[in-house]
Amino acid sequence: MLNFESLAAIGLNHYLIVSAALFCIGMVGVLVRRNVLVILMSIELMLNAVNLSFVAFSHFSQNINGQVMVFFVMTIAAAEAGVGLAIAVTIFKRFKEVNISFFEQLKG
Amino acid sequence: MGSDLFEISVNLIKMIIIFVMMVQLVPLLVWVERRGSAFIQNRLGPNRIGPLGLTQLLADAVKFIFKEEFIPEKTKKFIFYAAPVVSLIPAALAFGAIPLSMPINIEAFTMFGESYGPYRFAFQSFELGIGIVFVLGISSLGPYAMLMAGWASNNKYSLLGALRACAQSISYELALGLSIVGVLLLYGTFDFSEMIAAQQGPLNFMWFGKEVTLGFLPNWGIFYQPLGAIIFLTAVFAETNRTPFDLPEAEAELVAGYHTEYSGLKMNMFYIGEYGHMMAASALMAVFYFGGYDIPFVTAEDVNAGVTWFGQAIDPLLTTVASWAPFVGDSLAEALGFSANKAAIGTAFVFHIAMFAKILFFLWVFVWVRWTIPRFRYDQLMDLGWKTMLPWALFNTIITAIVIFIMRTNWS
Amino acid sequence: MDISVLLFYGLSFIVLCFALAVVVSNNPVYSAFYLAITMVSLAFVYFILQAYFIAGVQLIVYAGAVMVLFVMVLMMFDLKKEKDSFSKGRMSNFLKVSSVGWLWGLIAGAIYMSSDLLSMGATLHNKDGVGTTTKDLAKLLYTDYIFAFELLGLLLLLIAVGAVAVSRIKGGTHA
Repeated sequence: MLNFESLAAIGLNHYLIVSAALFCIGMVGVLVRRNVLVILMSIELMLNAVNLSFVAFSHFSQNINGQVMVFFVMTIAAAEAGVGLAIAVTIFKRFKEVNISFFEQLKG
Repeated sequence: MGSDLFEISVNLIKMIIIFVMMVQLVPLLVWVERRGSAFIQNRLGPNRIGPLGLTQLLADAVKFIFKEEFIPEKTKKFIFYAAPVVSLIPAALAFGAIPLSMPINIEAFTMFGESYGPYRFAFQSFELGIGIVFVLGISSLGPYAMLMAGWASNNKYSLLGALRACAQSISYELALGLSIVGVLLLYGTFDFSEMIAAQQGPLNFMWFGKEVTLGFLPNWGIFYQPLGAIIFLTAVFAETNRTPFDLPEAEAELVAGYHTEYSGLKMNMFYIGEYGHMMAASALMAVFYFGGYDIPFVTAEDVNAGVTWFGQAIDPLLTTVASWAPFVGDSLAEALGFSANKAAIGTAFVFHIAMFAKILFFLWVFVWVRWTIPRFRYDQLMDLGWKTMLPWALFNTIITAIVIFIMRTNWS
Repeated sequence: MDISVLLFYGLSFIVLCFALAVVVSNNPVYSAFYLAITMVSLAFVYFILQAYFIAGVQLIVYAGAVMVLFVMVLMMFDLKKEKDSFSKGRMSNFLKVSSVGWLWGLIAGAIYMSSDLLSMGATLHNKDGVGTTTKDLAKLLYTDYIFAFELLGLLLLLIAVGAVAVSRIKGGTHA
């Protein structure tokens, strides 16, 4: 079943499994944490996992298109972090609260 | 790293030497800073210990090491200890990626009866194809050290200093990055060595598709990117937290900024980090706008010929003296004898001196500006960064792109 | 044993450990520091995957800008140790973690079983003759993807305006 030759020669599979693990860790973070900022960070982790798999695919198929996607994902992630932090800072300044369950009570 | 033991060991030693060079330049710079400030303010400065006060540095180092290690209560211990080390890493890595002289091409030779193949040693810690991106990325990790120090100290002045420093670094990184885009467009490469290679010889450019050469000027970036050079220099001042942008350490308002609670050797490491940043910035300034290790109006062949002439002139003397040595005379004479490889090494060192002169000049500019210009207010600092330098850097990028397109197209 | 193999295992170990620490850590400031370390090590993973430009951008954008922003905001909040940093309910948490574990198992199993297909696909796709240097990346970005690229610029402008607008709200119901 598990042979050591496949462990010694790093292929696409290894990177994909690391990427999947990273994605799942981020997902656990989003599900179990209550702090808005930590949830945002976990989302960044998930985006990074996707980036890793894109770069791995791009490297092993010698196709640069994957890296273009990574470029886009990074820009979107930076934008998302900017807006998310701005909202978090605004709410914290007003209510001194970062717990996600508090956010349910916000109204228009 | 290399293909055989000789190459690997030379590369490792080279890495260590360049790091040590960076660290050892710091006390000298502190001396220049103190003497320079005294000179500018019409004082004497430290002049008691040793000639010109030069061994003051040694006394300072001893003081730093033997000072009581005082750590306030309720600090986050691990981060408090880690911050000075982290402040050292980005500067050292950035400085190591910059070529300090031309690469040395060593032909095949024999040593101790074994032959070694031809080598090419780059005069830098490590060679990367994406030099600029790496240096920008690594130096953007600098704010972490300040944030760690400020937060772990559990002191409001430290925290305020850290937050200020961080906001300042982030704001000026934009202008810094955009001012470099002009350089990238000009040379069409990320690689420092290629960039320097493009700046050799006399001023040579395309004028509406025709080639023009101006023999009385060197082919340096400053003549193509004057605005970019000014923006870069200013942004670098802000990035290294030097006056007129030393808001993070504003002594009058914040005690000492993010390193208020630090003393002794840990404080010293922050200083080494700051001066290391200055050195990397000076080296970048030289590489981007002042031809790197280029000596104006002199080619590598000229220098090589000069070194060869000098080597051959002193060769008989050296070998004669060496052969007088008992037992090992012959092999010593052989080792000291002149060869093309030694000429290559000598040439690289001559160019290294040129590069170093440029770096030292910009370091002096740092000192000079610090003791000449007063500090900005914080809102003025942010206004300058976002409302003045960022638009001008964008303007510079666009103008450079348009001019390059117009000038390099063949219109006839 | 090749040096790149060691590098891969070492770096992925660091990445996964610090990613886990981000999720487990009780103090959000430490979480942010751990995430920064994760980002930097991921940049080095990109280095060994020969995506040099992406590695540099990862350092500049993620480690240098986004994470510094996170750390700064967290320090500004200056949160004391949180009481309820994890969601309540032992059963629901167990269900959440175990279902994510199942998901990872499924993905890993799928990757393991389709490894032949993956290696076959790798040889199939490289037919348009575009290289893998940074210059090729730039060319692709400014030709094939120019529309998306311009849209991204527009998005960034909108985000900048939106972030400034959101953070300038003084509070109260009437903005």
